[in-house]
Amino acid sequence: MSYIHFPVIAVMGQFLAAFLVAIFGSKSRKASQAITLIASACAFVLVCLLIKPVALDGQIISYWMGNWEPVSGYAIGIGYEMDALGLFFAVLVSFIILMSAIYSLRYLEHDEAVDRYYTLFLMLSGSLLGLVMTGDLFNMFIMIEIMTFSAVGLTAFRNYIPEALEAAMKYLVIGSVGSSMTLAGVALLYAQTHTLNMAQVAAKIGAMQASGGLTPTVVFAFGLMFVGFGIKSFMFPFHTPVADAHPVAPTSFSMVFSTMVIKAGVYGLIRIAYIVFQVMDKSSVQILITAFGCVTMFLGVTMALAQHDFKRLLAFHSISQIGYIITALGLGTALGLTGSLFHVMNHTLFKALLFMCAGAVLHMTGSKNLDELGGLSKKMPHTTICFLIAAFSIAGIPPFNGFASKWMIYQATYEKAVESGNFFYALVTVVAVVVSVLTLASFIKVTMSVFFGQLPEKYKDAKEAPASMLIPMWITAILCLGTGVLYQLVDRTLTAPAVAASLTPANYVDKMMGSGYAASFSVKDAVATAVQHMSYWNPVLWLTLLVIVMLGVFIVILSGDNERGPVLKTKEPVADGKYATFFSGEKYRHSHMGGSDLFWGFKHDMKPYFDFIEEKHSGVLTDYTLWTIVAMAVIVVYTFVFVK
Amino acid sequence: MKFKNGIKEKNIIVKCGADAIMPFSLMFGFYIICFGTISPGGGFQGGVIVAAACILLYLAYGHKTTTTAINEEFIRVNEAIGAVLYVLLGFCGLFIGVRFCENVFYEFFNIGDPLSAGTITYMSYAVGYKVLTGVGFLLLLMIGTLIGGDDDEEEVEA
Amino acid sequence: MDATIHSVLSVNYVAAIFLIVLGLYTVVAKTNLIKIILGLSIIDYGINLFIVSTGFNGGTSPQFTLSELFSGQYFVDPVPQALTLTSIVIGACVDAMALALVIAIYKRYKTVDATEIRRLHG
Repeated sequence: MSYIHFPVIAVMGQFLAAFLVAIFGSKSRKASQAITLIASACAFVLVCLLIKPVALDGQIISYWMGNWEPVSGYAIGIGYEMDALGLFFAVLVSFIILMSAIYSLRYLEHDEAVDRYYTLFLMLSGSLLGLVMTGDLFNMFIMIEIMTFSAVGLTAFRNYIPEALEAAMKYLVIGSVGSSMTLAGVALLYAQTHTLNMAQVAAKIGAMQASGGLTPTVVFAFGLMFVGFGIKSFMFPFHTPVADAHPVAPTSFSMVFSTMVIKAGVYGLIRIAYIVFQVMDKSSVQILITAFGCVTMFLGVTMALAQHDFKRLLAFHSISQIGYIITALGLGTALGLTGSLFHVMNHTLFKALLFMCAGAVLHMTGSKNLDELGGLSKKMPHTTICFLIAAFSIAGIPPFNGFASKWMIYQATYEKAVESGNFFYALVTVVAVVVSVLTLASFIKVTMSVFFGQLPEKYKDAKEAPASMLIPMWITAILCLGTGVLYQLVDRTLTAPAVAASLTPANYVDKMMGSGYAASFSVKDAVATAVQHMSYWNPVLWLTLLVIVMLGVFIVILSGDNERGPVLKTKEPVADGKYATFFSGEKYRHSHMGGSDLFWGFKHDMKPYFDFIEEKHSGVLTDYTLWTIVAMAVIVVYTFVFVK
Repeated sequence: MKFKNGIKEKNIIVKCGADAIMPFSLMFGFYIICFGTISPGGGFQGGVIVAAACILLYLAYGHKTTTTAINEEFIRVNEAIGAVLYVLLGFCGLFIGVRFCENVFYEFFNIGDPLSAGTITYMSYAVGYKVLTGVGFLLLLMIGTLIGGDDDEEEVEA
Repeated sequence: MDATIHSVLSVNYVAAIFLIVLGLYTVVAKTNLIKIILGLSIIDYGINLFIVSTGFNGGTSPQFTLSELFSGQYFVDPVPQALTLTSIVIGACVDAMALALVIAIYKRYKTVDATEIRRLHG
């Protein structure tokens, strides 16, 4: 039973390591890196050791700090709980933290004061682990705040770049509004239930739902906490800080930010909607969450099409994929939640890989402008292959993992449409497919303009990334393919237990507060039906097909003329020189719709729409806060009117 | 520190007042830290009071004297030491075989003694140490940035 | 609990909501970064006032010995006070960090006007 101590050791070990870095790291860079690597590896091992008891055997670890166990049905201490849902996120967090720590060894070689980076980095990882493990609402708020602070600090790490400070400021203001709203929701819940423990709050709200519906206080609390976690997950009107933060943040932090800091908000949404408030069986809440997710994924991908900065483009794709996740979790069905959690995992893997590739290109060439780069496939073959794997995954090409989860999401939304007879969900399915196509289009553009085409003179001496950057890239790339092919194994080990844990709040309450507690408050135990995943999908056949097609392509390539294109020689700035004579004859009108763009015609047709959204993303902080607060007002009013 | 025209140094009254108040404010802060576990107050409150003495020092003697008198790097390291002490004291419970943060070592003193609260006492001292260094460091940094010292010293750590 | 206590309580809640809304208004309507940070602080203060108010139900202070305790006694809930203290500390950290950022931004951009700090857009 010694494994019950593992969660708290994992979390506190990160914080301990953070302060040890602050003590010993200022003199030597090696010391900070060693402490960071040891701490993140320890956390990863500890969390992985928990997979067997928690996910496979179905236990829930409840751990009361200082042994302050509940007295006569009232939780008086701070409790850590670890169910399969928390474990699912904890595994992803610790994996990404480890990969990022390895990646940052060489990536930060030109930066000074790396001890500050690693201090904040370890505090970020500790707070993320604490967030997914805690069972106390106020503790959750504290972890969110630590997470936001560290993330803002890391965004502004390269503080000689003015844009980094600007992005950090925007993130801080919007993030603080979100944290404040979460705190207000927690306070309202405390006023109503006189407890902060999630299990006990869930029990009391369950009793409330069994006897005549939620009180207005609880509905208000749900609205505020939904906004709070929505801001932390950067869904539609709150998405602006993430797009600004990515281009300027160090890439080793970008990959954590884009994968896990955003997912912390998703975790919060799942936790409060499915377990604490148990409102996911109400169709009004389903429509609310799905609608926000749907708008998020469409807006994200269309904004991404218009970008010319490598990392900013990836940031908008993050927003788009988060839209998929939120859409699917809003369906309230077991299949939808499975697809959502599976996509959480897949997005974590392929987006981390994409950012690592972007970082490798940035590190080796010093540029992240898509108009300047080109032809790097000859210079950086490993990076190119990794990027292609990640791009196939995010675009949803079988047999990579992105396809598996997207297929589940299509199927879930379609089944929901058939089941409920609501036209809205059919529309959601169509939007999801269209967004997937646009994602593919966008990644074709990126791949063509960074890795293929002609190599500019400037990057003639570009080299392959060092081994410490390639190792995490290859590990993640193999996992991208592996989770796509062996999705049933992944489902059995991680996703299915997490879905079961989210759909059975009564079990959660019982493990935390003592058995029989949930029944005494009549918490309803939602039916966790067996799900028929991906009925028409056999990954092995698709893998065979892929191999055959690739063989064919290679044969064609090898049999063809082996001459490479000449190195582009031009005195002009590359942005104008590359593809300057586009066949349509129209010169660069402005940089957002240049002739170098593969989808120039498409964007030309949709020009009013693209101009509109680009104008609306004005970069002015007060505009963004206005969106935030208007959306908050809309959500709160909506919950008051429709959620009973 | 900028002075108005014709004034070369700080007012003597401010200096003497700060000299007079400083020992008391320090002692009051340390008293609140030391007896925080058995009476109102605690590590955080006492730490903030001690750190406020930094402001007093700054008001009386100006920026340059304060930064030469107080080694910022030393304070930064000591803040981290306070935090490490806290976490290690929390791990004491684990090492003994009970839960994290569980109160141990409380049986050696009579109830009412300052140390009778077990590890909670030492945790409170660790918090006090962390806060007095941390808030002091924060105040010094913020004042330092306002003065317009060297450009790259902005600490963005919370 | 008599009527005066109820009226006092409702004044607390009204003031808390007023402060929160005032803070949100400041964040949206003002373009000066310092004023935006002040708005964030005001939101925090409103929420802190709200949390403290939820703990008060018309009793005595929560410090007593067992002999002073009798059945049916009201006392103020100490948990919200602890929460408020934590929340105040966090608010102070937000302010410190935001102000440090503003100082740094001012050095690079030579302005604290949010409408002019927009190099990242589109």
